Amino acid sequence: MKPAVISCKNQSDIQRKNKLYKQLLEHWQLYVMVLPALIYLIIFAYKPMYGVIIAFKDYSMRKGILGSDWVGFINFTRLFSSYWFPIILKNTVTISLLSLIVGFPAPILLALMVNEIKSEKIKRTFQTVSYAPHFISTVVIVGMIVEFSSVDGIFNDIRATFGLDRIPLMAKKEYFRTLYVGSGIWQGLGWGSIIYLAALSGVSPTLYDVADIDGANRWQKMIHITWPAIKPTTTILLILNLGGILGVGFQKILLMYNTNVMEVADVISTYVYREGIQGARFEYTTAIGLFISAISFVFVYSANLISRKVSENSLW
Amino acid sequence: MRYKRSAGSTVFDVLNYFFMILLSIAMLYPFLHVLSLSLSDPKLITRGRVSWYPQGVNVEGYKIILGSSQLWTGYRNTIIYAGLGTLLTLVFTSLMAYPLSIRDFVGRKFVTIFLTITMFFSGGMIPTYLLIKKLKLINTIWVMVLPGCISAYNVIVFRSFFQGISGELRESAYLDGANDIVILFKIILPLSKALLATFGLFTIVGHWNAWFPALMYLNKDSMYPVQMVLRRILFVSSASETSDLAAMRIAQKQVHSKNIQMATIIVTIIPILCIYPFIQKHFAKGVLVGSLKG
Repeated sequence: MKPAVISCKNQSDIQRKNKLYKQLLEHWQLYVMVLPALIYLIIFAYKPMYGVIIAFKDYSMRKGILGSDWVGFINFTRLFSSYWFPIILKNTVTISLLSLIVGFPAPILLALMVNEIKSEKIKRTFQTVSYAPHFISTVVIVGMIVEFSSVDGIFNDIRATFGLDRIPLMAKKEYFRTLYVGSGIWQGLGWGSIIYLAALSGVSPTLYDVADIDGANRWQKMIHITWPAIKPTTTILLILNLGGILGVGFQKILLMYNTNVMEVADVISTYVYREGIQGARFEYTTAIGLFISAISFVFVYSANLISRKVSENSLW
Repeated sequence: MRYKRSAGSTVFDVLNYFFMILLSIAMLYPFLHVLSLSLSDPKLITRGRVSWYPQGVNVEGYKIILGSSQLWTGYRNTIIYAGLGTLLTLVFTSLMAYPLSIRDFVGRKFVTIFLTITMFFSGGMIPTYLLIKKLKLINTIWVMVLPGCISAYNVIVFRSFFQGISGELRESAYLDGANDIVILFKIILPLSKALLATFGLFTIVGHWNAWFPALMYLNKDSMYPVQMVLRRILFVSSASETSDLAAMRIAQKQVHSKNIQMATIIVTIIPILCIYPFIQKHFAKGVLVGSLKG
């Protein structure tokens, strides 16, 4: 019995090998096509991953990544004992959680409301308008924020009508987060609703008709038909968002912050940019990046685990 | 109205529409305000009289910004980066996605895993910066084009789209003696125009709005994209950089700095507004929605 099995396995091995040779000969073009992208990925995606090991080294440009001396976890302990670490960590988490708490449910609510519009034409017009801010660059968005919150800007005009005095909002610590999160919602609200509307477009209209016959009102239909349809999408996006909690983008903050609001505005990624690129502390900031990635991975992993247990929806 | 409607339902509809209108105003008002500031009389701007329509007429801001060579250099650079970048993205993404769309392509699994890993792991800002520096790409056009050129997400969407195109077309082309390169460029890509248009437009918008790579990797004014020019005009207070705006205003006193700044914003978002209807068209076709789902 045994030899037969082995020969069988060998045969399939040979067959596989033959298939490979045949393909390489006949369809060599396919391999040529994949080659540029593979080389690209090795250089621009895998080499930086390999470069992460400088987090454990005393990096010197002259010696290169491999030649530099190992220093263990010094770069990490340096981070944890840094004066700035608690501040930037707190700011990052605060800004993220605010964005998440206000910004995450908003597109879901919007999608539910858009879904209740009967006229296709009005629906489309509204979507055209609400997606527009997504296509505007960060520089323009921050330019608008700066203009609108200047002393003679529109936000202060509004304050003035309520009898409040005009203040430079961009220079006030207590308004930075509101401006950051608010402008983020303005820009991302409509766009964020697309994915939910896509999920809703898959709901069969007969479900609603049947519910009508059963005498369900609109609220009941929303709770029992519409919401279950977008629940899996919601769960998955929430898991992904939890993974991004420490990854507050630096582009907008880099343009928005100034010495007056630094205390509340400086986040991990802007700190990495300043210390790493401007201050040339490469190994130290690489260590920060690695630390953030590790934490984010733990977040996504545990959020996924909990979600799989609780709701059967999960990323993997 | 197939079934009788309750009063509550009607109230809900009214409130819903009211809220939608309010939201639309909130989305559009900032643009209108910027436009009217750019066109208003400087004296009336100072008095804070401008709202959603211009007060008085004043095109000096536009005259100054359109007469500035900086803006046109920025425009030219951005068009070069966006054009070359988008071309490379579409070509390399298609080239990689096509073999992956063939079920019996030997090595498919390996390449897919190799690609998917890059979706979840990356070296981060600093190792990437060091790499770019080591490759001597700083202050070259390639630094604005290559990083981010191939993304795993795009390849996966392209692959799924190509898989939707009948495999029989490919089989019969083989029998006619066509090779894979001919099949990709003569059969598959012409059938994927909607896909190419959608991703092409998105890539163009991405390049158009990019400023951070320029800040990191370019230090020559003559190479700056339009967003960097805009940044210097908008954020004049950054002490380390020369105030371009002040220099512009010396020549012209009949203009408010807001005229110039807001005019620059308008001038840089006009191309996006021109592209937007085309992107919108593809929403309607559902290409994007389908791809977002996938």
